[in-house]
Amino acid sequence: MSDPRVQKLAAVLVDYSVGAAEGQQITIEGPAAAAPLIREVYRRILAAGAHPLPRIGIEGTLENLMLEGSDAQLDWVNPARRDDIEEVDGRVVIMGLQNTRSLTSVDASKQARLHRALEPQRNRYLERAANGELSWVLTLFPTQAAAQDAGMSLTEFEDFVYAAGFLDRDDPVGEWKRFGERIDHVSEFLSGVSELRVLAKETDLRIGVGGRHWIASGGLENFPDGEVFTGPVETSVEGTIRFTYPAIFQGREVDDVRLRFEGGEVVDATASRGQDLLREMVAVDDGARRVGEFAFGLNENVTEFTREILFDEKIGGTVHLALGTAYPETGSANRSALHWDLICDLRDGGEVYADGELAYRDGAFLAL
Amino acid sequence: MSDPRLARLATLLVDYSLALREGEVLRINSTDAAAPLILELHSVAIARGAHAYANVALEGLAEILVAEGSKEQREFVSDLAFREVDRLDAELTIWCEANTKSFSRADPEARGQVYAAERSLVNRRWERIGRGEMRWVGTLMPTNAHAQDAEMSLREYEDFVFRACHVAGEEDPVAHWRTVADELAARAAEFADTREIRIVGPDTDLRLGVAGRTWQPSSGTYNMPDGEVFTSPVETDTEGEIRFTLPAVFYGREVEDIRLRFEGGRVVDADARSGADYLRTLLDTDEGSRVLGEFAFGLNYEIDRWTRNILFDEKIGGTVHLALGSGFDDCGSKNESALHWDIICDLREEGEIYADGELVWRAGNFLEAPKPVVERV
Repeated sequence: MSDPRVQKLAAVLVDYSVGAAEGQQITIEGPAAAAPLIREVYRRILAAGAHPLPRIGIEGTLENLMLEGSDAQLDWVNPARRDDIEEVDGRVVIMGLQNTRSLTSVDASKQARLHRALEPQRNRYLERAANGELSWVLTLFPTQAAAQDAGMSLTEFEDFVYAAGFLDRDDPVGEWKRFGERIDHVSEFLSGVSELRVLAKETDLRIGVGGRHWIASGGLENFPDGEVFTGPVETSVEGTIRFTYPAIFQGREVDDVRLRFEGGEVVDATASRGQDLLREMVAVDDGARRVGEFAFGLNENVTEFTREILFDEKIGGTVHLALGTAYPETGSANRSALHWDLICDLRDGGEVYADGELAYRDGAFLAL
Repeated sequence: MSDPRLARLATLLVDYSLALREGEVLRINSTDAAAPLILELHSVAIARGAHAYANVALEGLAEILVAEGSKEQREFVSDLAFREVDRLDAELTIWCEANTKSFSRADPEARGQVYAAERSLVNRRWERIGRGEMRWVGTLMPTNAHAQDAEMSLREYEDFVFRACHVAGEEDPVAHWRTVADELAARAAEFADTREIRIVGPDTDLRLGVAGRTWQPSSGTYNMPDGEVFTSPVETDTEGEIRFTLPAVFYGREVEDIRLRFEGGRVVDADARSGADYLRTLLDTDEGSRVLGEFAFGLNYEIDRWTRNILFDEKIGGTVHLALGSGFDDCGSKNESALHWDIICDLREEGEIYADGELVWRAGNFLEAPKPVVERV
């Protein structure tokens, strides 16, 4: 008998997030370590009359490739997975590493190279999603490794994960629908704004968002969820920002990141630790120097930093921006092999002005 | 640190069985229980410059499909799956189960629908192999489930498996299998002009017509471990009777002490100490299921016992096996059937085989070493 919350999670992912329908083909992408959730998702897809297509990975092949692979091997993209992206109706993507730091010592340029090779595939599924041709959801199955990163026991971390997904409640789907209505008000408000100004400790950043589409993310593409995001005007970002939490890229941490923007581009990037990785990431390509996403974290059940961006970017009372590729449906044209989220906590004295007017203070919107 | 025998097995499979080359695409099929061998294989394949990836069947998913899927879902094969097979240069299957009896109580019809769907993909693979477009090899990674079937501890079973693959010791496994390939090719060549095989043993006197049929050596390119020489008998020329002292297993069900009588190539009388009903059901599968599709010598003498796994059992040194049902095109067989059921006849204690009347095999051994006919260049 598996954890009943895992069954509930599978039901929400399949019925609500992906909305599986009869005859559809839906991939289940995840590591064998996530077996209990993969089984429940598989079962639920069958119950919906759809066809589950498992794509199960083995942790360690990536390490082999990074440590022993040639450039040609790092650049190779499995055509079968490219076909998947072109044709499936849905994707349930499950994270569940047994060691989140197994790639820490790998040469950063190799990671960047592999990341670049997969870029067309990533852009293509986002494009199909934006066109309404494919629905996807990204979630995490709690493992010891993720619990360790969060500084919790596995039991504590499971409680945290399932509470963040409202899975400890009777009707999670109903809760997510109500939550979705609440955050729709935030996106409606922001849709009328041309410029946001974020003020916090060592932070004064202006972000042009005029004409951009704000998207309320309420459990469809990420689970758990809870953010409202857009793609800023590519050349508009000006000023400085200091990020509260370590920024993590494939298991490597960069501490105390500070960025200075001019004309939308990063012109100065420093960190107290991991400066080399930061510089390497910003130099991945032209798009990596620009902000592809700006967002408000709005999930009040996610209260603490866990070193897992799926949760961290939704911490209620934070904002985050991502360097690199944008979600096309926001209206941003920025494209990059990178999409790297950096979080700024505004719960302690932070302010956000919307077209010059104070709209948000200490981690909450004033009028919403 | 994983078992060094796994690394040697991986090297043998990649370099000898598949002869994997730079730039080729290799898919490694298995279950999550085989992760240690998958990673070794992946590492060797990467070192050879190939593009390798794992295709993992998570334990339990097929069981859910059989039990909870609709007929349409059970029979569904995505076009994506066919196209994926079409893009492979090489494929490797690691049989590795955590429980070999997961389907023993499943509804046979529902299970059959899932098997049929899986078989359509396997057939696609064999079509491509037949055209020389890809290679495939099957092997096994020891688990407690397989050890339990073999009535051994996991450690004993690992020793058995790795010895059978010749990756247990210091010898060079590739060199060993090249020697085996030469010997078995020479043995197959000796039978090229043979018209009749006669098997004589306890309750056994069976004549098989093999005139005009091709004999094939099986020496580690399709199976690891390996070691047999086989052909497909002439469909109408099997006469006499045979008793099989080792149980025959089909999809997890055992039939013990089978006796068959053939006339004009067909089974006309069949009995067994247990499972006789199942035996008769299988014989009635279709028109071709009462006719032999294969006759083979098992020649791997490291495999010295029956383990309830046909990958090993059919190669037990000193046995022969017959298969009821479909034969091999490349041996000249015309027999078609949905069945291909290997049944093993242990000739190690007593038993003689005559080729065109001449005694060539006694008590599990050929009387003479094969004369080398193949010059290795």
